[in-house]
Amino acid sequence: MVVLSAARWLRSRLTDRFWRVQEVLRYARHFRGRRNRCYKLAVRSVRRAFVRSTKARREKKRFLRSLWITRIEAASLEHGLKYPAFISNLIKSQVELNRKVLADLAIYEPKTFKSLAALAQRRRHEGFLAALGDGKEPEGIFSRIVHHH
Amino acid sequence: VAKTSLTSPPWPEVPKLPDPMEEAKYHAEVVQRVNGMISSGRYGRLFAVVHFASKQWKVTSEDLIMMDNVLEAECGDRIRLEKVLLVGADDFTLIGRPLLGKDLVCVEATVIEKTESWPKIHMRFWKRHNYQRKKIIRNPQTVLRINTIELYPCLS
Repeated sequence: MVVLSAARWLRSRLTDRFWRVQEVLRYARHFRGRRNRCYKLAVRSVRRAFVRSTKARREKKRFLRSLWITRIEAASLEHGLKYPAFISNLIKSQVELNRKVLADLAIYEPKTFKSLAALAQRRRHEGFLAALGDGKEPEGIFSRIVHHH
Repeated sequence: VAKTSLTSPPWPEVPKLPDPMEEAKYHAEVVQRVNGMISSGRYGRLFAVVHFASKQWKVTSEDLIMMDNVLEAECGDRIRLEKVLLVGADDFTLIGRPLLGKDLVCVEATVIEKTESWPKIHMRFWKRHNYQRKKIIRNPQTVLRINTIELYPCLS
């Protein structure tokens, strides 16, 4: 005889619920409170943790750059230069080192960083001299500086 | 005459640059000394700043570098890293503007390993909108070991 539907004792039961729950709980084992044990709370915490880690991967680049800039600023102040003067004069002398490498040099190669600071200082003075010109007073009646003696 | 706010210009006093003839003599002497040091081999460990895979690396000999991309070279191939920005030893540094010449420095590396990164999880979630997407990203990675950094005495 032809049977169209399956018998009543053949059921489709979920048998690997334990492993599906463990997939989520293994990411929550280091959390605080009941969030590391109870699935309902853990699901929410793990989801927020994943989203926060994806967003943090973009912020990490910004954070590291500002850290490098702080370190370079501290090192250049030890040599008597401010950070904007240091960086702008290095770029004008065609030295294309990025901030990560400059921070590493400031930490591990102090002599090299000192020579870079001296290079930037020299380029800065040359720039000032080029901008100031001869040092003579300008011609014209109203742009001459009046000396009172 | 009393000093007021307008007696001296507001920019700082610029010291005079040294005489160009004396400077040229001093530069030639320094270049000769550094050439002598390089040719006699009186330097210790060299470090170099290399531009590779759109990043700059501060590199010494026998150290490992890992980059987040694929190199078209088999494992065990020797590679020469051109684009050297800076080379330094204990007593002298050679700063390139922006690159140093290929006949001056030679940085050799070997490809050790080509793997994938650890599975990073990329998750997006909007609250109250029943929207969540989870993706596992594995980036290909290459590991290089820097073998040697060599200097040749061809400064001018």
